Amino acid sequence: MSTAKGISRTTIVAILAVIIVVAGLGWYFTLPPPAPKLKDMIIWGTTDSVEKTLDPAQAYDFFGWCIIQQIGGTLVEVRPGSGAGPNDYVPDLATDWSVSADKLTWTFNLRQGVKFEDGTEFNATHVKYSFDRSMGLAIEEGPQVGIDYYSIIDSVEVKGTYQVAFQLKIPFGPFLGVMACQASGIVNPKYAPMDAEVDYVDGDARASHPNDLGRYTLTKWQRVAGKDVEFDLEANPNYWNASGGWPKTKNIIIKMYSDATALRLALEAGDVDVAFRHLTPSDIVSLSGKTDVKVWEGVGAQIQYILFQEKIAPFNDPRARRALAAAVNRTAVCQTVFLGQKQPLYSIIPMGMAGHTEAFKALGDANYTLTRSLLAELGYNESHKLEVDLWYETSGHYPSCADQALVYKASFEASGVITVTLKSADWASYRANRNAEIMPVYIYGWYPDYNDPDDYVFLYWTPWTHQNYNNPAMVALYDQARSTADATQKSTLYSQIETMAVQDCPLVPLWQGKAFAASKPNVGGIVLDVTENFRLWLLYETE
Amino acid sequence: MGLRSYIATRVLLTIPMIMLLLTFVFLIIRVLPGDPVLLHFEKAASPETMALMRQRLGLDKPLLDQYFAYLAGLLHGDLGKSMQDFSPIAQQIFSAFPATLELAIYSMIIAVGLGVFLGVRSSKSYNSVQDHSIRVFGIVMYAIPIFFLGMIFQLIFGVVLHWFPTGGRIYPGMEPSGLTIGGVHISTGLYTIDSLLEGNIIKFLQALRYLFLPSLTLGLVLCGVFIRLTRTNMLETLHLDFVTAAKARGLKERTVLYGYAFRNAFLPVLTMMGLQFAALLGGAILTETTFSWPGLGRYLVDRINFRDYTAIQGDVVFFGLLVALISLVVDILYAYFDPRIRL
Repeated sequence: MSTAKGISRTTIVAILAVIIVVAGLGWYFTLPPPAPKLKDMIIWGTTDSVEKTLDPAQAYDFFGWCIIQQIGGTLVEVRPGSGAGPNDYVPDLATDWSVSADKLTWTFNLRQGVKFEDGTEFNATHVKYSFDRSMGLAIEEGPQVGIDYYSIIDSVEVKGTYQVAFQLKIPFGPFLGVMACQASGIVNPKYAPMDAEVDYVDGDARASHPNDLGRYTLTKWQRVAGKDVEFDLEANPNYWNASGGWPKTKNIIIKMYSDATALRLALEAGDVDVAFRHLTPSDIVSLSGKTDVKVWEGVGAQIQYILFQEKIAPFNDPRARRALAAAVNRTAVCQTVFLGQKQPLYSIIPMGMAGHTEAFKALGDANYTLTRSLLAELGYNESHKLEVDLWYETSGHYPSCADQALVYKASFEASGVITVTLKSADWASYRANRNAEIMPVYIYGWYPDYNDPDDYVFLYWTPWTHQNYNNPAMVALYDQARSTADATQKSTLYSQIETMAVQDCPLVPLWQGKAFAASKPNVGGIVLDVTENFRLWLLYETE
Repeated sequence: MGLRSYIATRVLLTIPMIMLLLTFVFLIIRVLPGDPVLLHFEKAASPETMALMRQRLGLDKPLLDQYFAYLAGLLHGDLGKSMQDFSPIAQQIFSAFPATLELAIYSMIIAVGLGVFLGVRSSKSYNSVQDHSIRVFGIVMYAIPIFFLGMIFQLIFGVVLHWFPTGGRIYPGMEPSGLTIGGVHISTGLYTIDSLLEGNIIKFLQALRYLFLPSLTLGLVLCGVFIRLTRTNMLETLHLDFVTAAKARGLKERTVLYGYAFRNAFLPVLTMMGLQFAALLGGAILTETTFSWPGLGRYLVDRINFRDYTAIQGDVVFFGLLVALISLVVDILYAYFDPRIRL
């Protein structure tokens, strides 16, 4: 039957039905997610991911170590919020320790009553097993080789059921720092064969790692097309200090996002509670002005520097290297590119660490007078400029590398006697070029393996950056410093090294990063310190 | 030629196509600077260690041996192992493919549904305000950068209104498990299907909720193509004699439009559907990046960055086979829709 306007009743009913169905669906779709089956949960959003594995014998990337730290245990830890100084190491699986007078024997008394997942009690044999295994596997790309455990540790001896001793080859001052890093993680022998690495097993989180004694257990590790998508952590009921209320939040979900923009939007939409690694500087500035987001700031340990290929003239001459070092405008890059979220660095040893000096201030910043005078000695002037190829990487391995390169180019060319050509390569090609020694001037960076100047100073001459700098006197001072436990003497030795470095300029320190995280306003417990460890067990969310 | 012969011929022709593609990619990626062996060692490694790694990756053999070894593996259905983490390439690809497939399906539903509907409406009201509005809409949708549109939707529907999540595929802990019958587990990897198999309507609706913004974004951008294509073909068809004759015989406008004109105008749209769907199955990289959708979109780019030769080859072979299959299906559908076409 038609109405007066020619629309049938059937049509009207059909239209109404469609409207009701659409409205109903719309109502349902706009509901918040169902109450999670897990109570007491925090979701951490990140753009980072595990490079390969969670096996302490092989994992050598930031995020891999981050996860291992949550689910594994080491003999000692760095006190959260501290400067990782000699007095900032606290017990974890060891209760106390002592060092012999000759500094060659470190003895650790182990915590009793700590249990693995299957109820086996942790003891000294597990410590020996873990170190014998990781050093025995000697994975070339692994941390034990990278940190050179082999020149430090001679043997691990079981002295008693709950006592273990490390015999060292040299009196190594930063030994506790090495013991606190995740390469020294204690493994569960049931999941860690002595002669094989432990790799990711699709659909089986337990079989994908050998760690067991941490605050959390790994209940899910999802990888799609070789990239991490999600980690689920649950409080470990066997953790030795579970009765002390640790971890503070029982369940942590780690969700991976494609890039900083996606991460930021997820935080603002409330899809995640915490965002850490990596938000861009402009995101940090923008989020800082919001009332529904809390931005956290802490000391960082990442540094960036410029290297010179000394096989390529004129960079075989320290005057050329000092000239460029003097022309660098660190303040410009820190303010322009990083919006004040990095700090100018005048030493290879970061600020906040014992042994830090401002040695490279002797060359100044944008000190074009010095640049011109040094290059004049080499025959360069305004009509005959020094031509420099400055290389940077394009894969995002270092933050805002292209933008940094532009600022360095501008600061070098502002001297009036330098012309810069920017060249770039993705990370794979960049490393190939590094090894082929074809980049005259190139940007590089470093995160520490352990928080001690010992893990920074060697960068001046390390062979794997291929800059071909060699200074036996500097190396001798370094060896002396790593053998002494006397803090004052170490500082003096490092200061001497820095003085040499300013003269020879094998590299130019540029900046030191700060660490930033952002969260919902009711999230607490985020501690960002010089270790850049992200201790999930401290996080909590209030109502 | 009968249907069976036609399919057999097409399958046989796929083989030289894949061989040509694979050979080309095999050679090109090895010309790229950068060494996959080197990428395993951040710091210096001894020559012996590098040699061992080269052996492990199969790169110590002559190029021709590597090529034939890979072909031999392919014949056994083995796409090889990743040079980065040594996991099977097939596992990597098939872990991501369901997400890409699901996004492609729902995006195409929106793109084709909306594009064809608006294209037909536009042709019907030629040169009217409605026609011009739809044309402008189609052009804007086609021109707008997809990541920009995606971010606008994330901002409005995610950040401001909190109606939809801004990224990811499902809420943590809500992955559907599929169906298990008598010890046999059936799971497609498509969360909407698996949740229905599981009989869990909540999970189904949550899966749709996470799918909505990325498929709407991709679907709207693609619908611009279908609007223009449908409109153009419909305008041509609507002026043909048989349409005039149908109208003269007193058939309803709806019947003339969809039953007569559209059916004839649909063939080029069908071709475009096949092409677009095949392209989407390679991974909509911008959409997947914008919405952190764990599909194949970034897979090839990431593998190139790692100089993961076997993964690149495997992905190209997989995609080549997909394109061949889809184009075969399109050709068969062609014959179904147009009896004049003989296979």
